[in-house]
Order: sequence, then structure tokens, then C-alpha cells
Amino acid sequence: MVVTSPRTRAPRARRPYSGTREINEQSELGAVYMRTLIGAQRRLGLSVCLVTCGALALLPLLFTIEPELGKFRVFGLGLPWFLLCLATFPMLVLAGWFYVRQAERSEREFAELVERP
Amino acid sequence: MHDFLTAAAILVVGGVAVLVLWRGTRTKHALSTEAQRVTYETLHTAWSAAPPLRAGLVPDAAKKSARHLRTLLDTPALALTDETEVVAWEGVSEHHAAEAMTQAEDVFLTGRTQAFDIGCTEPNCPINCAVVAPLTVEGRVVGTLAAYSREASAGLVRATNQVARWAAGQLELAELDRSRTRLVEAEVRALRAQISPHFIYNSLSAIASYVRTNPERARTLLLDFADFTRYSFRRHGDFTTLAEELRSIDQYLALERARFGERLTVTLQVAPEVLPVTVPFLCLQPLVENAVRHGMEGKVEPGHIQIYANDGGAEAHITIEDDGIGMDPDKLRRTLAGQVDESAGIGLGNIDERLRRVYGDEYGLVVETALGLGTKITVRVPKYQAGINGM
Amino acid sequence: MTSGYAVVAVMVVVLGTILVGAYGLRVSRTTSDFYVASRTVSPWWNASAIGGEYLSAASFVGIAGLIFAYGPDMLWFPVGYTAGYLVLLTMVAAPLRRSGAYTLPDFAEARFRSRVVRGVASSLALAIGWLYLLPQLEGAGLTLNTVTGAPDWAGALVVTVVVTVNVMSGGMRSITFVQAFQYWLKLTAITVPIIFLVAVWQVRGADSLTEPEFPSFRQDTEVSFQRQATIHAEQEIVIRGTGVVDGERLEDRELLLTSGYHRIDGGSKFTFPKDAPVPHLSTMAHNTNESWSLPASSGADFPLYGAYSLIIATFLGTMGLPHVIVRFYTNPNGTAARRTTLIVLGLLSVFYLMPPIYGALGRVYTPELLMTGQTDAVVLVLPTRMIDGIGGQLLGALVAGGAFAAFLSTSSGLVVSLAGVLSQDVLRLGGVRGFRISAVLACLVPLAMTFVSTTMPVADMVGLAFAVAASSLCPLLLLGIWSPKTTTIGAVAGMLAGGVPALTAGLVTMFTDTGDSWYEILLSRPAAWTVPLGFTVMYVVSLATQKHVPAGVQRTMVKLHAPENLGLDGSGSSSSGQERS
Repeated sequence: MVVTSPRTRAPRARRPYSGTREINEQSELGAVYMRTLIGAQRRLGLSVCLVTCGALALLPLLFTIEPELGKFRVFGLGLPWFLLCLATFPMLVLAGWFYVRQAERSEREFAELVERP
Repeated sequence: MHDFLTAAAILVVGGVAVLVLWRGTRTKHALSTEAQRVTYETLHTAWSAAPPLRAGLVPDAAKKSARHLRTLLDTPALALTDETEVVAWEGVSEHHAAEAMTQAEDVFLTGRTQAFDIGCTEPNCPINCAVVAPLTVEGRVVGTLAAYSREASAGLVRATNQVARWAAGQLELAELDRSRTRLVEAEVRALRAQISPHFIYNSLSAIASYVRTNPERARTLLLDFADFTRYSFRRHGDFTTLAEELRSIDQYLALERARFGERLTVTLQVAPEVLPVTVPFLCLQPLVENAVRHGMEGKVEPGHIQIYANDGGAEAHITIEDDGIGMDPDKLRRTLAGQVDESAGIGLGNIDERLRRVYGDEYGLVVETALGLGTKITVRVPKYQAGINGM
Repeated sequence: MTSGYAVVAVMVVVLGTILVGAYGLRVSRTTSDFYVASRTVSPWWNASAIGGEYLSAASFVGIAGLIFAYGPDMLWFPVGYTAGYLVLLTMVAAPLRRSGAYTLPDFAEARFRSRVVRGVASSLALAIGWLYLLPQLEGAGLTLNTVTGAPDWAGALVVTVVVTVNVMSGGMRSITFVQAFQYWLKLTAITVPIIFLVAVWQVRGADSLTEPEFPSFRQDTEVSFQRQATIHAEQEIVIRGTGVVDGERLEDRELLLTSGYHRIDGGSKFTFPKDAPVPHLSTMAHNTNESWSLPASSGADFPLYGAYSLIIATFLGTMGLPHVIVRFYTNPNGTAARRTTLIVLGLLSVFYLMPPIYGALGRVYTPELLMTGQTDAVVLVLPTRMIDGIGGQLLGALVAGGAFAAFLSTSSGLVVSLAGVLSQDVLRLGGVRGFRISAVLACLVPLAMTFVSTTMPVADMVGLAFAVAASSLCPLLLLGIWSPKTTTIGAVAGMLAGGVPALTAGLVTMFTDTGDSWYEILLSRPAAWTVPLGFTVMYVVSLATQKHVPAGVQRTMVKLHAPENLGLDGSGSSSSGQERS
């Protein structure tokens, strides 16, 4: 009769796999990691894009519904001229800057997530 | 009377029409005989089944080839198994797939083709029996091919046998492909380990000579040496970027310059657009080593090496040129043709072989050389290659 | 308008381009210092290069011309050309770079692993490239015609020859530094004159640009009509000169031009008196300077549809332009690609402040262009018109040089990328020889097209190229990058469903006269219906064919989205990879 401590047969605790390995081996867990990253980036990209471009795209409709708006003057310029020649460009750059900052931040977060399980 | 004439006319016209049609269909076949068409159909189907078989008995590829194999045998269902499981079931009645392994067991044990009677209880199932043939590669049964049909006939057994033999032949070729790949990989590993003892000895003694006179230089050289060897022994990945390969070349040349001093001059011209291009690992460094060896050997006057990496639209063009003793064109041709003769250049044949394997035959090395007239080696690399960049 | 200095400026630009092309490689880094040589291109340089290649004839002369003629509705062109980069930045830049693709067809193949998708993408890239080259050549013709009086085809021919020779001699391939320099040259060429012009305008009492009056001649002005024009006079004017009006031949005598429509034949030359209101082309609306400055003043049918179509085309079309995409390869990684795009956004924003000022000043100082229809020339004519003497001549020369630089750089970039597609996917000729043959072919096709196309504002033609890109390659990129469900069949169906109608509409407007038919706007501004069509078809067909999701899509997604520095490629860990092989 062979008797050993029950611990002999207990499953050994293994070091957890890193996310990097899970992704490279295309496990279900790796797919979850990737889905999270892609989802976050897609949400960020779409929201920056839709908010900025959507705001811009409202303008023609506004000017059609309320033609008087076109006669309104800002800094001596007609409102459409002011908005489209001056105001839009800084806004676009600002939106782009915000996006780049956020995207890089979420990539850093992701790197930390997968490298240190 | 009229009715009779009309009927006769219709009959005559109809008969002529049928005759013309019949002749017409016959003339269509005048282009090939029955035998030719059968040969074509069979070989075409077999040809379609071959490429996926070359990938071995893996599920995706096996599924593709099973479709064509079933066409060859004209059975309601066909299965391929490897030693442990059914890798492909093609056709109807997939519920029989579960039993396929038990039948395969028998074939694995005996190594012979066997027929099984499988009475099916389901009313519409067209399968009653199975003919299972072994797939034998290099004398070992690696899998089975099972043809399922309503009734087993001698014809089916014979045809199944023949198809299994043919498929086994393809699998054998797959094995050959794999071993050839393994060979090239082994060569790359060997190439990595091929930092010559001379080079190590020369580098270290050059570094040693600086330790007293110029400790700062000695320190940077030592770092270069460490980086260079670390890169060369790198384990992961068969590809790298041009930028990284150039960095390793730089470290290598720094060490060589420590040895040759002012005698070795290098001109480098790199279009920054091509730096991100993916290139096979260690496909340039050996060429530079070759240039240094040929450029400096057997002469006292200074040697000059020029390295260009130019942007060529969708390709990167890299040339490495020295003004040294040159190579014997015939010897070189033999090396590039795959005959081992290392004296003609360090790993030239291996690099040429790897470039051709990765990018296709038109992308092999182009060497311009003659004895005493220097050597110019041109490497072309496409900026994008499916399967390398686009994982 | 003809000016010796301007001719010299154009020649300097042309010669400079050839010389830089021939000797450019020698200027590029020759060194024995590896550290210097293997430094990758910084986002600033790369962004300048993208800007230099992107700012085309449409941007340099076309936008000002359209604003001058049709008012603030046209401001959507510069806004759209810039906002396109915001969409590119947020949805495409980093994943595209990470895909490792050099051209759009490469991306199609990398994502779908299918030669068919690649083939369709190649054909569309070719079509877009040619549509885009055409206005560059027309713009060059216009510029040369304005500064030297040479016939329209001469400029197109000069640009074609210079670009072909250059690309073939191996120069100007895609040298980042040369293209980067082009951006700063163009910015200088458009900014310096405008500073002087605004100063002059202020010094002369800053006449209001939006008076409730029709634009009028500031002095007795001799106008020569290059081609037949139907014009509308707001009031009776007494004109003098030689030519044919409404079929009646005049030989150097006066004529009372009644208010209403008149047809003036090409080759006519008339002098219009000072302070008379300027007649305008029949295709433009009857606008006073005040009504011109208000939205929806262009007089087009369905202005709202037109505006939205333009917005959709320009916002989404930028990412499908073949010469823009290849520049992203030069970035070392996805992060750098994003930063580059952000800088491009800034550089374009600065440049696009200028053209509207030219357009507005043109209403006061060069109103006769409204009548001859050469509205695109407003940028070129304005400096000499507003500033007398050598100063104006020099500024005019600067603008002309800048304009020519714009045609040359954009055309070179386009020809290089088109030649790449042609040699790889159509002719299947590799190496230097294949590239050269393709370059010639890439140039010849649009040159031939210039001879048969109808006259159409340069920026409008560019708008059509954008519309095709937005309806075909944009869905491919966006859905391909962000939806793993996109299938091979879906991709092909979507690209064809969006691209073919847009292309057909574009060709019909360019080569036939659709006139005033109600569907004219649907054809000349197709994006509003073809873009949704392309997206919907691609998505729906993909959902219906989920069995055909390309193999290894999971791995492709990892490759597209994972940051490079993590060493992720979804190809299995190194050890297991070796065991399997």
C-alpha cells in the first residue's frame, strides 16, 4: 500500500500566463483582451469623429432653417465666414490633439494590462 | 390527305433538326476524345486537391482537399483521419463521423485497406458501408481515407486504394517541403552561430589594444561587440526591419574599423523612406562581412565600402559595393546554384535562397563581380509582401 | 496678365524640380555615420511632406476661384479637405501603418488575404488617381495660359513631361525632404502675397467686400474671351471692341449691351467702362456682393443636398487617395503615424486660411473673371491687379511659381503611386523597367483625358475624385479595420456598389453636358447617395456571408490594433511556433 500526502496529487499552482502570451496563442482570453482594446479605440475614434464632424455638419442645416443667422456678424465677418474660415480649423486641431492623447493613453494602459497579468 | 402531308413535313423537319443537333453535339466533342476528357477531368480534380494536401493532415486544408477527393471517388461521403481524430468529413450523414475513428483503428493496426458494414438506422441515410484505406508515408501509416457508400463494390475498393496511394504521395511531398524549410531554418541558425572565431579574436584584440591608450573607445567598442552578438543570436522571429539590420551592420563595422583603422572607409547613403521595410533577419550583415573580407584581403592600400539603400517606389533597393579582389564568377554561380562552396562568399547562397523563398525567384541576389574588379551586390526587397507584413 | 517675371518663376520651379530630381539623391544623406543615416523620418518632416503632396491645384487656385464665384457655400472645400484628416487620424492612421501595407491594394490583401479584393481595390485606386491627376493638368494649363498666354494644353503637356522625366530618371520618387520643402514653398507663395494685398486693401480705405451692389469695374477694363460665353448683364452697358455678340460681328466699335443674356464668341475682345456692373456667366447666380456673402448664394439647385454631398465626399474621401496613403509607410510605427496626421491637420489649417481671402478680394479687384469664367485664375491675377509696378509683378511671379509647384508635386506623388499600382497589379512588371513603363502610362491616360473633358472648375473635379474614394475605398478601410465581421465577398460587393455608380456619375459629368436636368446635382455631387450605398452593401453582404470570413481574421486584428512595442503578432509564442513548423 503506497501512501503519500494528498498534496502530491493536488494541482500545482502555476504562474499565470501573461496577456501577451494569451494573445499570441490566440486563446479565448487573448481574444477578450484584443476585443477590449479594439472596442475602446473604436469608441474613442468614433466619438471624437462624430462630435466634431457632426457639429460641423449641422451648420448647413442651421443656415437653411434660419437664413437670418447668415447675416449675423462676428468680428466684422459674416457668421458663416467666421465659423468656416476661422473657428473650424483650431477646433479640428484641438479634437485631433485630444484624440492622439487619449489613444496613446489607452495603448499604454493596454500595454500594462497585458504585460503584467 | 392534307393532314398526312403536314404530319410528314413536320416529321421530316423534326428529323433534320434532330440530325443537325446530333451532329452538332458530336462535332463539339471532335476537339477531344473520351479518354482525353476523362484524363483531364480526373487529373484536374486531383490537381485541385493537391495544394491543400501539401499542408499536411490539418483540419482546414484537409477539408478543402476532401471535397475534391470525394469528387474523384463519386461517393456520398468521405472522411480523412490522422492518427487521433477525424480531420475532415465531406458529404452527407455527418453523424457517422463519430464511428470513423474506431474503423480507422483497425486499419492502423493492420496497415491494410478494409471494408466495414455499418447498418444505419436512419431512414434517409445513403450510407451502408465504408471502405477505409491507409495513408502511408515513408512506411508509416499517418492517417486513413474512408469512402462511404450505399454498397461496397470491388470498383470502389480499387479506386479508394488508388486515391489513398496518390494522397499519401502528396503527403510525402508535404513532409519533404517541411524538411526543406527546417533545413533553411537550421542554416539560419548556423549562420547566426557563424560569427567567425577570427572575427571574435580580432575584435577582442583590437579592443584590448585600446584599453590602455583610449579606454573610452574601448568601452564603446565593447558595447558594440555585446550588441552585435546579442542581435546575431536573437532567437525570436525570422524578420526584422532594415533600420535594425543597419544598426547591427554599424556595430559590426565599428569593430572592423577598430582593427583596420584608417584603411577601411565606408560610405553610407540611406533613403529614410525605406528604413521601416521588413527584411529577412541577417540578410545584409553577412553581405557586408563578405564585402569587408573581399575588400581588405590581400591588399595594403585602403579599402572602400559603399552601402546604398534607395527608395524604388514599391521596392527598396539595397546595394553593397567593395573595391577589393572580386570573386570568381564561375565559382559564384555554383554557390548561387546551391552547391556548397563557402570560399566564394559567406552565406551568399543561403541569403539568395532565403530571399527567393520569401519574395519569389525574381528577388534573388544580383552580383556584379570579376576577379580583381571589386564586387557589387544588389538586393531588392518589396515594401509589402503578403504573409510577411500582413500577418 | 502676361508677365516676364511670372514666366521666369514658372521656369525656375520647373528647372528646380528637374534638377532636384536628377541630383536629389546626392543631396540625401551621404555619410559614414550610421547613427545619422538610420534615423527615421520625424513626424514633422513626414507631415510636411504629406502636406506638400496633398496641397494640389484644387487647394492652391481652385478653392479661391470657387469662393470668388459661388460664395461661402464653397468654404466647405477647405474645411472638408482638412476635416478629412481628422477622420483619417481617428479611424485609420495607426491601424493602416500597423498593417504594414505600402499601398491601399496592399492593405486590402493584408486584411482579406484575397487577390480578388486586391484587384478591385487596385482598379479603384487607379481610377481615383487618374480622376485626381486630370484637374492638376487642367490647372497647370490654366496657370500657364494666365501668365504667358500659351494655349491650355501647353501647361498640361509641360507638367506631364516634367513629371514623367522626373519619375523615370529615378528622381523625386518620394523623397520626403523634397516634398516637405514643397509644403513650405506653397505656404510662402500663398501667404506672402496675401499679406501685401490685405495691406494695400487697408491702405486704400478698406472698401467693404460685402456692399449690397453688383461687382463693378474699377477702371476701364479690356477683357478678352478665350472661349464662347453666355453672360448676363444686370444693367445696360456701353462696350467697345472687336468680336461677335449674339451672332453680330463688331469691328472696333461701340455697342449697347442691354440688360439680360448675351452670347459672346471666343476670341472677342471688349473694353468695359469704369464703374459699370460686371456681367457674369449665365451659370452663376445674380448676386450683389452682399447676397454673395450669405449662405446658399451659389444659385445651385438643392443647395442643401449639394453641401451635404460635398461634406461627405471630402470628410471620408481623403483616406482613399492613393498618394496620401503611401506616405504613412515612412512612419516607423502606428504612434508616429498618429502624430504625423495631427501635424498635417495643423499645417493644412494654416494654409487654408488664405484662399478665402483671395476669393473675397477678387470680388472687388478682379470682377471681370466672373464674366470670362476663368474664376480659377483669381489667385494668379490678383497681385498684379492690386499692386502696380514691379512689386505686383514679383508677387504675381511668386504665386505663379507656387501654383506650378503645387501641380508638379501633387502630380509626381500621384504618378509614383499610380505607377506602383500599375506595375504590381496590372502589368505585373517588376523592377526599374516595369516602374518606368508604368510611370509613362500613368501620365499619358490623364493627358489624353484633358483633351476630351468639358471645362469644369478644378476643385469640382477634385471633388469627384474624393466622392469615388469615399464611396469605395473608405468603406473598405473603415469596415475592414473596425469590424472583424467584414467578409471578402462583402468587401468586393461594397466597393463595387459604391465605387461604380460614383465613378460613372463622375465620368458622365466630366465628359458630357448634362445641362440643367434635375438629376444633374445627383451626378456632379454623387457622394450623398453612393457613400451610404457602399457602406450598406458592404455591411449587409458581409452579414449574409459570415461563412466566408477570411481565415486568420483574429490574427489580422491583433496586427492592426496592438501597439508594436508589445511584440504581439498573434502568431503563437516563439517556442510553440517552432514546435509546429
